[in-house]
Amino acid sequence: MSGSKRLDALRAAGVGFVAGVPCSYLKRFFAGCAELPPSAFLPAVREDHAVAACVGAWLGGTRSAAAMQNSGLGYCLEVLTSLHLMCGVPLPMVVSDRGDPADYEEHRILGQRTRQLLDLFAIPWREARAGAEEEEARWLVETSERERRPAVLLVGKAADA
Amino acid sequence: MTRAEAVALALSMLGDDDIAVAADGAISREAYNARDRRRTFYMLGSMGQVASIALGLAMTRRERVVALDGDGNLLMGFGALALVGGLKPANLHHLVLDNGCYATTGGQPALSRQVDLAAAAAGAGYPWTRRCARDADARADLGDWIAAPGPALLDLVVDAADPAPAPRVPMTPEEMAERVRAALAAG
Repeated sequence: MSGSKRLDALRAAGVGFVAGVPCSYLKRFFAGCAELPPSAFLPAVREDHAVAACVGAWLGGTRSAAAMQNSGLGYCLEVLTSLHLMCGVPLPMVVSDRGDPADYEEHRILGQRTRQLLDLFAIPWREARAGAEEEEARWLVETSERERRPAVLLVGKAADA
Repeated sequence: MTRAEAVALALSMLGDDDIAVAADGAISREAYNARDRRRTFYMLGSMGQVASIALGLAMTRRERVVALDGDGNLLMGFGALALVGGLKPANLHHLVLDNGCYATTGGQPALSRQVDLAAAAAGAGYPWTRRCARDADARADLGDWIAAPGPALLDLVVDAADPAPAPRVPMTPEEMAERVRAALAAG
């Protein structure tokens, strides 16, 4: 047990490699990641490297997941389109849901268009609920593997677990 | 030395178990034409991400993982130097085919003419780095690089001129990914 219910649920769903860049909405998740063995967590310097590393782990047979702030989706877009979507690589993604009207200015423009952005590239998404971590982890893994594409769980401030 | 000759020389040094990731564009095409291997992943897009893909492989596999990178690619994904140098996967071998320009798009000069990529990798924490600027040294330097404790980076200077481009890899993107995954699942 890592101290993060969401991370533990992903591990229980078979995820053996996590790569990401922290967000303050995902403090518990990343605190859990820091407890993983060195081969199971990549603390990336930018989100595009994280999702690219997940492609490598997947090619090698390890189920992988990425975690990041929604601002990082912009950096990821080239990799998600020219690797994951083009090659049919599954990727469960835990993405913070920044940008509500009470959030800081820098989060609002992309944050308020996160769902549109995902819809534009036909990336399935759903919103996280506290207490539903296990079911959500199974949804992420099963959806991304069935559809051979990324799937996104949007995590609001109250759903960090 | 042309880039295609350098790619072929590097691939000739790989063992059957080694895993390779070839950067998008000419490097992938030349790797395919020189020596197609089931354990080579040929990138099409995602310029700048070859080292990150190789890192994900190196962290989760025991075999040697070779990244066939370009100088423009490396400059685009420069943060990957920090990832590899900081995390130090001992099985990752990083080769930069350095032609000093963006050959595919018309030969526009790249900043690799001013930036010492081997020194940057050393600064990031790669325990073994070298720049090879003489064709006569290439074979020996590649031999040292592939045998060095990783992560190891060789900045191999190749001709700027891009002779007749190699044809595209005759597989779909899905086939390229699935083939590598199946080969690695087999052992």
